[in-house]
Amino acid sequence: MSRERDAVLRRVTTTAREIRLRVLDMVYTVQSGHIGGSFSEAEILAALYNHILNIRPDDPKWDKRDRFVLSKGHACPALYAALALRGYYDASHLNTLRRFGSILQGHPVIKTPGIDMTSGSLGMGFPIAVGMAIESHLIGKSNFAVYTLLGDGEINEGLVWEAAQTANKYRLGNIVAIVDRNYVQNDGFSDEIMPIEPIDKKFEAFGWRVWKIDGHNVEEVIDALEAARDYGDGPACIVAYTVKGKGVSFMENDRYWHGKAPNREQYEQAKAELEGAAP
Amino acid sequence: MNGDAAQLRKAQNPTRRVFSEEMLAYGTEDPHFIVMEADIGYSTFSYLFGDAFPQRYFNVGIAELGMFATAAGIASTGRTVVCGSYGVFITMRAIEAIRSFICYPNLPVKILSSHGGITAAIDGVTHQATEDIANMATIPNMTVLAPCDSASAAAAFRLAMQTPGPVFTRLMRDPLYEVHSGAASFAVGGSVCVRSGADVTILSYGDIVIQAIRAAEQLAGERIEAEVIDLYSIKPLDRRAVIDSVRKTGACVVAENHQRRNGLGYEVASILLQEAPVPFAALGLDDTFAESGAYDLLLDKYGLSADHIAENARRVVHHKNR
Repeated sequence: MSRERDAVLRRVTTTAREIRLRVLDMVYTVQSGHIGGSFSEAEILAALYNHILNIRPDDPKWDKRDRFVLSKGHACPALYAALALRGYYDASHLNTLRRFGSILQGHPVIKTPGIDMTSGSLGMGFPIAVGMAIESHLIGKSNFAVYTLLGDGEINEGLVWEAAQTANKYRLGNIVAIVDRNYVQNDGFSDEIMPIEPIDKKFEAFGWRVWKIDGHNVEEVIDALEAARDYGDGPACIVAYTVKGKGVSFMENDRYWHGKAPNREQYEQAKAELEGAAP
Repeated sequence: MNGDAAQLRKAQNPTRRVFSEEMLAYGTEDPHFIVMEADIGYSTFSYLFGDAFPQRYFNVGIAELGMFATAAGIASTGRTVVCGSYGVFITMRAIEAIRSFICYPNLPVKILSSHGGITAAIDGVTHQATEDIANMATIPNMTVLAPCDSASAAAAFRLAMQTPGPVFTRLMRDPLYEVHSGAASFAVGGSVCVRSGADVTILSYGDIVIQAIRAAEQLAGERIEAEVIDLYSIKPLDRRAVIDSVRKTGACVVAENHQRRNGLGYEVASILLQEAPVPFAALGLDDTFAESGAYDLLLDKYGLSADHIAENARRVVHHKNR
């Protein structure tokens, strides 16, 4: 492995760990927000914002920037942390999450620096990303890439499949959809609420090229994002197998931690576990 | 001002077609905007644009919600998008994408909404948009237009393109009457007084304007002079014109091809209660669905014909004079 590559891996790994710590602090401080889905997506966001996306944090509206839409918008604490760590705004904003007057709304809004589009109603972010890709690929031809992150529960929405068809019709070679396959949604285990497998075969049947990876293995995440970005012949989908609440033993695979805030004791235990994790 | 119903010419084309023809003409003037369809381009007439500008025309199939969410993504980059479909699908099936992802971020999506009200008469209730104005006008940042003839429908397209943010235009399935003379001018927030009178104000929009004019002619024979105003700009509304007219006449009837509840009538009532309380009637669907059938028969059954408007005008005038 080259020294450069090694540095990327280390940077992304460190950032993912930092994102989790920030998310824990934010949600504990304001006693509201979605921890479980923020923890499952930490490596993916860390890789996007620290290696993949062609962006200028000092010029957030740069028109040729790559776009990112967090279709699973409720998991925005991790995105807000990733943006702060990348320099879009001061990290002091993080603990104002969801509070009156904060730039960090309960779900993402386009006016927050670094947020490319309002999202949070499940299923809607994906077609929005497809629209951005149509603009880039077929209309303005500025050739920016578009990335979107969906929850596995989110793909229950019929709208997701409308968007999947549209991306295939236009053979959009500049969109990468990542499914955070963490197996848990609000009311319980995803496969019990609504069986959604085979996710990979479904996307393939809709004309997408699919990669399946361990969404917490930074090397696999980066390799897949690079491969999907460079594919170019049509829409690309990465099914990232993850763990809801990843990194805190008592939060993992438990629907309770989809949208609950920890008490002091839980916070301290979680923090110790996250800090103890190898950087 | 025309005002003489017998002399008003039946329009050659429905407003949906006029709007799309204007879009086609504008397509050359402005090479930047694009058009989206959900498989009824031959009905909205957006196909005219698609044939001329195939690279700027995106038919996403029978997927109205997906179309509006995708349009939001395109418009998030600053590009203007025109989306066409039927009113009931736009304002019901796709309303959340329109509210949260077009109106909330205030994006330039212009909506060509055909088959407003019960003009889709023979298609039945599933295709009649009778809550569209209420749904669209309630959303912040949305502009709502409802032209009544060819001149105002063509103007509506230009106004939509010139107005920042989202604009909803309610268009009709069947040809209406050419109400406005060539001298009429249109603006967002404007209105046109199509007949002057001192005894009662009749406010309307879209296909019911012609019924209001006919009602005014009936009333003229009884020495009741009705003022008829076309409120084609539903939102923003020409409050000044409404208040000034009603202060002059002292009585008001609102008639619209829409549910009474949360339509123009409710909006005008709330203005008049604050500014100029007068004897008042609001005509529209009275908390009911319509049905299939000939347009004229439906207008009569649901209380929107010239006869019904005239009858209500007599009543409010009588009440005023008591």
